[in-house]
Amino acid sequence: MTALEELTKPADTLTNPHIERWKEKDGKVIGYYCTYVPEEIIHAAGMLPYRMRATGSTNSELGDLYASHLTCTFCRHSLDQAMRGEYKFLDGLVALFSCDHIRRMFDAWRYGKIDLPHSPFYLRCLSVPFKVDAPAVEWMAGELDRFRRSLEDHFQVTITNEALRQSIKTCNEKRRLLRSLYELRKKEAPPVTGAEALAIVIAGSSMPVEEFNQLLKQMLGELEGRDGFSDYRARLLLAGGELENPAYIRLIEELGGLVVTDFLCFGVRDFWDLVEEDSEPIAALAKRYIQRVSCPRMIDHPRRDKFVRDLVKEFKVDGVIIQRLKFCDNWGCEGTMTQWEAKKDGIPCMMLEREYLMSAVGQMRTRVQAFLETIRR
Amino acid sequence: MTEKAEKYKLHRGLYDLLKGITQPGMMKMMADWLGAVFSAVDEGKPILFNQFTVFSELMVALDIVPLPPELWQSSQLNVDANACCESIDAAEEAGIHPELCSANKAIIGDIMLDKIPPPSMVVLPTFPCDNSKITYQAVAHLTGAPTYFLDCPYWMDEGEAMDYWVNQYKGLISFLEKHSEKKLDYDRLKEVAEESNRCLDYWLEGLELLKLKPLPLNGPFASGYLAGLTALGTPAATEAVKASLDELRSRVDKGETAVPEEKTRVIWFYYPVFWDAGLGDWMAQMGAVTASGLVGYFNVEPIDTSTPESTIRGLARRALDTPMGRQGRGASDLWIDDCLRAVEEWKGDCVILAGHPGCKWLMGCYGLFRDIARERGIPVLLWDVDLFDPRPCSGEESRARIEPFLNTIMAR
Ligand code: SF4
Ligand code: SF4
Repeated sequence: MTALEELTKPADTLTNPHIERWKEKDGKVIGYYCTYVPEEIIHAAGMLPYRMRATGSTNSELGDLYASHLTCTFCRHSLDQAMRGEYKFLDGLVALFSCDHIRRMFDAWRYGKIDLPHSPFYLRCLSVPFKVDAPAVEWMAGELDRFRRSLEDHFQVTITNEALRQSIKTCNEKRRLLRSLYELRKKEAPPVTGAEALAIVIAGSSMPVEEFNQLLKQMLGELEGRDGFSDYRARLLLAGGELENPAYIRLIEELGGLVVTDFLCFGVRDFWDLVEEDSEPIAALAKRYIQRVSCPRMIDHPRRDKFVRDLVKEFKVDGVIIQRLKFCDNWGCEGTMTQWEAKKDGIPCMMLEREYLMSAVGQMRTRVQAFLETIRR
Repeated sequence: MTEKAEKYKLHRGLYDLLKGITQPGMMKMMADWLGAVFSAVDEGKPILFNQFTVFSELMVALDIVPLPPELWQSSQLNVDANACCESIDAAEEAGIHPELCSANKAIIGDIMLDKIPPPSMVVLPTFPCDNSKITYQAVAHLTGAPTYFLDCPYWMDEGEAMDYWVNQYKGLISFLEKHSEKKLDYDRLKEVAEESNRCLDYWLEGLELLKLKPLPLNGPFASGYLAGLTALGTPAATEAVKASLDELRSRVDKGETAVPEEKTRVIWFYYPVFWDAGLGDWMAQMGAVTASGLVGYFNVEPIDTSTPESTIRGLARRALDTPMGRQGRGASDLWIDDCLRAVEEWKGDCVILAGHPGCKWLMGCYGLFRDIARERGIPVLLWDVDLFDPRPCSGEESRARIEPFLNTIMAR
């Protein structure tokens, strides 16, 4: 199996052989709900950070009991998976007020509505600020220190500064490698599709990072010999919130729109910015996580706006598609503002609403086709 | 009419209707507020958008006119139930997603249609919801108005959360000073905070009287909340809230009750259906009185005004406890615990929740609350009705949902 094949597999399933091997060696796995949880701290505790997905879920019947009909379907499916015991491989879960949906779903865990795999099960909701200024960074440093101590207490481990520094380096390496991959996507004929790139980023949060880095290096070598994709009708940037299904992008790409970059949380928002390696580790982590390229949960719209414009230029993007899970307010307004700005700049831009499970595929096809027509490259 | 005066016709009409009122109370308070807004518009003075959980003391101390956009929406619904529809539609046509809270859609639409005076400054906390945070970022985007967010930690009992929050409040003072080009006079702030304390004493006393059974007056004690948003810290607001309290006291003294026969007590732990003002009276005709509602619910300490620092701390502390902010800023526990407390202390027989589409933080608590309510034998009704838009669920439809629920409870 090539490294590319190996790296695109974990996205298809909730768990995978890498995690199974880790568990066999008695390794602990900590799930986390969003990109604002520093994986370095979990890693430095000797555990495997696993970004939560609901892959494989087919309905949300149980989750619906503690979600409302206004809750985004990702959260409903994920809660459903939890209630069905599909996350039994976890030893703990960390979340934050990413959005109203995530925080309420996490409350169902806190209120004991989940059949927890272990007792006591580690549960923590981080208090992550919404602003991106210096006091917010300072607050975050205090919060990360509390997080570190609570992991130490719960699992009876020690997280040294040295271990944190090492984890920062390892995770930075992952980020640098992913950026190298994205560099290749700037080419006239990018060697990977958008669907593959999404799957690779997902793999990065679903296996031990050292194994991932190794495979990614190997894959970058392999890509040198791969023919690029040039028979596309338009180069696209895909923006939006939670998206963990490569098949969604595949559908767009089958119609001729090659996704060459993104503004996704399983995408650039996850890895674009590095953590300073020579500073005090907790302070460095706080700074990176608060001041990195932000999600719409943060009060930081103008900076996001500029970031997207820069991506459009750098990746020679012909059009922007914003995918948004229904009921997501953050992406509802953010996406609309992006559309307003794109219109001013003359960049074709469309918003696609979706549910967690792929549905209304015919309608989506028609809309994407019509969009690609308007680009007329 | 001048061009300026023609703008905001509905609100000016409401003002014309109310401005003759001289008796202190809710209506006069509303008139005073609208009057202040229109003077500011006409004289080109700065207007501050204070989101619905931001109380007015600092604005009073700095003499800045507050305009809570959600109050701008809800007040016009008393005149015309469909008053927000045009703006809601305009926002949706501009691409705003339909599931955004309609109050927020109406704000965006109002700005687009020039139906609300433009703000010179905008202030809001990062609670209670995504809707509000992202909408006000859109407001900043559309109006270019400088915007200040009070960043609220998720757990207020942890670490230096309170210090962080107080510093947010100090940042707000600097922001207001900068954009109003005024300097805060701490002696003035002390006066305002003391006035605010007096007003809140009346508010809290009013809440106590609503614990009486049978209920002396129907409906939550809402005048404190209106004061909070528009004029808290002024003698006029204190007088208005005291007037509401006096009415309540006099009814208690005379042994007057909200309805001739109180058959059941409702805890309405959410906002009212703003366009359906008759709903409470209709329920009262059935013998169902509303003893507590989120709007009037307050639970605070007085501000210690001994030093500027203690005054700011007190104001900041109070800002965490505004209706909806107090319940919406953190985990579900905050809303659930307050709702259960309201049931217990105001002797509720049941809970009714107007399930406002858009309000995901609150609806997300519902499943957990339902389990607890079931264990404790508290009947709960939740139905979907939009508080700012009568189109999705009409008044008749609401009544058709509420009536059998109340009948079942009253038959017990
Ligand atoms: S899609 Fe929206 S609701 Fe879902 S996780 Fe993302 S921000 Fe939250
Ligand atoms: S009604 Fe609910 S969703 Fe709307 S602004 Fe208020 S808290 Fe937010």
